[in-house]
Amino acid sequence: MWWLAKRIGLSLLLMWVVATIVFLALHMVPGDPAEMLLSTGGAMPDAYAIQELRERLGLNRPILEQYGAFLLGLTRGDLGTSLVDDYPVAAEIALRLPRTLELIVAGTLLAVAIALPAGTFAAVRQGGAFDRTASALAAVLQAVPVFVLGTLLILVLAQWLRWMPAGGYTPFADDPVRHLVLLSLPAIAVAKGLAATIFRMTRASVLDALSRDHVRTARAKGLTPQRVLRRHVVRNALIPVTTVLGLQMGTLLGGTVLVEYVFNWPGLSTPLLRAVEARDYPMVVGIVITVSGLFLLINLAMDLIYAALDPRITRS
Amino acid sequence: MRRLWFPAAIVGLIVLIAALAPLLPLMDPVRQDVANRLAAYVPGSPMGRDEFGRDVMSRLIWGARSSLAVAFASAAIAAVIGTALGLLGGWFRGLVEVLAIRGADVVLCFPPVLLALLVVTLLGPGTGTLILVLSVLYLPGFIRVSFAEVLSARGQDFVEAVRALGARTPRILLRTVLPNIAGPVLVQVSLAVASAVVLESGLSFLGLGVVPPTPSWGLMIRGARATMEQAPMLLLWPCLALTITILAMNLLCDAVRDVADKRGGGGAPKLRLVDRLLPGLFPAPAAPQPLLDVQGLTVEIAVPGGIIRPVDDLGFRLDAGRTLAIVGESGSGKSMAATAIMGLLPPAARVAAGVARLDGEDLLRMPEDARRKLRGGAMAMVFQDPMSSLNPVHRVGDQVAEAIRAHREVPAAQASAEAVALLKRVGIADPERRARAYPHELSGGMRQRVMIAMAIANKPRLLIADEPTTALDVTVQAAILDLLAELRREEGMGLVLITHSLGVVAEVAEDVVVMYAAQVVERGPVDQVFARPLHPYTRALLAAVPDGDAEPEGIPGVVPRPDRWPPGCRFAPRCAFATAACETPPPLEEVQGQAVRCVRWRELSA
Repeated sequence: MWWLAKRIGLSLLLMWVVATIVFLALHMVPGDPAEMLLSTGGAMPDAYAIQELRERLGLNRPILEQYGAFLLGLTRGDLGTSLVDDYPVAAEIALRLPRTLELIVAGTLLAVAIALPAGTFAAVRQGGAFDRTASALAAVLQAVPVFVLGTLLILVLAQWLRWMPAGGYTPFADDPVRHLVLLSLPAIAVAKGLAATIFRMTRASVLDALSRDHVRTARAKGLTPQRVLRRHVVRNALIPVTTVLGLQMGTLLGGTVLVEYVFNWPGLSTPLLRAVEARDYPMVVGIVITVSGLFLLINLAMDLIYAALDPRITRS
Repeated sequence: MRRLWFPAAIVGLIVLIAALAPLLPLMDPVRQDVANRLAAYVPGSPMGRDEFGRDVMSRLIWGARSSLAVAFASAAIAAVIGTALGLLGGWFRGLVEVLAIRGADVVLCFPPVLLALLVVTLLGPGTGTLILVLSVLYLPGFIRVSFAEVLSARGQDFVEAVRALGARTPRILLRTVLPNIAGPVLVQVSLAVASAVVLESGLSFLGLGVVPPTPSWGLMIRGARATMEQAPMLLLWPCLALTITILAMNLLCDAVRDVADKRGGGGAPKLRLVDRLLPGLFPAPAAPQPLLDVQGLTVEIAVPGGIIRPVDDLGFRLDAGRTLAIVGESGSGKSMAATAIMGLLPPAARVAAGVARLDGEDLLRMPEDARRKLRGGAMAMVFQDPMSSLNPVHRVGDQVAEAIRAHREVPAAQASAEAVALLKRVGIADPERRARAYPHELSGGMRQRVMIAMAIANKPRLLIADEPTTALDVTVQAAILDLLAELRREEGMGLVLITHSLGVVAEVAEDVVVMYAAQVVERGPVDQVFARPLHPYTRALLAAVPDGDAEPEGIPGVVPRPDRWPPGCRFAPRCAFATAACETPPPLEEVQGQAVRCVRWRELSA
């Protein structure tokens, strides 16, 4: 329990670090940040507009006061309002975050469901036809950028074959079937990079586990090969796979932004990209903090899974 | 090396074409020509024109140029600054370390694309912003690598020596440490460049990276999306270029990493998953039938240079209720022989010849499924290192119960109860509580008792113990040996004890087999062999270790590697009595219940 408390404490500390960096980023910009945000294409912005933006962002107040107000707002879930339409940032995120989460969960489940058995099988039959085919495929998949795969999926499945709609979103409550059809392509795109990584990692990790002494012990007991594999190889091999999975989550979340854009999935990426283009700083900050928080949360979950898999972590 | 050259050639070619773009006879990549919008072919434009009538091939090549420029520039900046910070942090430690290393780690709290978008919001899109963001993203990798390398280099003798000579810090860092970290830093550079190409194209695709009209692969894909139905090739060309570039870079990264780790080269030995067994070379022996009868056992391993034989023509007999010890130095092949009998050889090794009969049935030629049913049942094995031989993620009671249920149809609860009884039987105090412990919570001696409990769970007729006490404290060793002797007496099983300690042999065994370089050099009853050793190696062993707990010392040299065995007597190079006669392989001669492999044994024992 003490271990858990420490781990949660660390996550909170990292969250504070993230918030502080995001806060400081605005002030680390050389020159006047308000002027910076308003300048487009070299034209000098209007002095009145600069003054107004300084008011809006609270840049006229002492920096510590700004920092205090920012952190206090965060703890209350208040992320400010959009510079474009005054809409509360937190409300926009609350509407769109579930859709992004759905995509991440679907993609991760898909990746794990395919890559874990495939990696195990490739390792057990090392050097065989399946191993060579799957390893080559994983290398290619790892090389195709996520937005390229997404665009090509649309070109082939939606434009040429007309099997699937090119993208969009229907709420589950309105039409469950259409919702899942629309979810499938973005989920595949999200799953691709993760699946390639999990496959390579599982394969390496199972190969390593197969050569361990305790696997020889398990065989010396006369266990069936299936049972040796399930209880003494895969179970142990999952531990390093979990670690790598946690490290990959940052890339996964970034990839999700691109996938949502390619498939018009109305998650967090639409307001994020619109806000980046419009230099809508509060909105960008709100979404970056939310997604980074999600990242830290996923890593915390990974550590918990890791501890559940490996009794040496919590008990020693 | 082919793994390195092929991707290196492709990456080199791409870089070369991109670098030479201004010199190539290409059309202007930004000149628009509305009349030829989306033309599939125009003279001078073999790949056609894009949605503004610009030449696709020219844009592809200039696009490579902008992608690679961003990637190499950011990797170079990150490498220089990151390595410098890592060097300083590792050298001065203290506050510098905290600021440089932990400071950079905060970058890792953000998903990379998100951090990039945050910076783009502040500074606006453009090549400069991209290079800044990407260098910041790759900084932690370089800092960590160089920091770790400096820490390990600091402790090394040559650095200490230069330091003692009075060299100044910057000089030491530049002259001695930097060349040593070149390998890992190079690996990081290749990773950073490959990853930068991916991120740059992604951001440009979102319209937040390279600013139009500068050509970039990401921007080309973005532009071609609207017209993918009329002009799919417009989409496919940059997709293909991007994918091939990243694939080649990834393969190059893997190869560079292998070379830098110095693990590449020869490759793993070829695996044989099916043990093909040669027909037995020896006829069945006459009665009375021993419990275990091993004859002519030969194990082969295919290695890049040919075939080695870690076990060569091993033979011995063991009757029920007796103990036979196999002794020899590390590398003599004794453990390999035991795993061959159990059918647990590593995949690279195979039994090339011989028989091993357990109660008259040949273990080596039996189907794997039948042998599996004997393993842990009629025959069991205890391994050398009880820490690594137990599965760290399962409770020890479960691991013992698993052995029971692998051979007998008993309910889980009964198996658990039996496991507790077995733990008690091998002398573990408070067995109910210990059964719920994980291996790392037990002491070494206790773990070995668990291993033994697991082995005797199904009352085996044969127990093979492979150096069961080597990893343990001296006081614990005696207790484990007593336990094995007691179990053998009470359960009537035959025990094969593999050890390098003659003290152990004298204490518990009735018969002994001395192995050297894969062969039996002497064999016989323990009292007879110890009283009158016939082979110079056995003599040397006995002379070297009066009270053997440690590896034999005092015999000059080591056991030669399996691929370097002398053609004649394998012990000759280390033997004090070697003569010219020892250059032909000596046969194993039987003398009054003893066997010896030495041409000079008669004159030496006279």
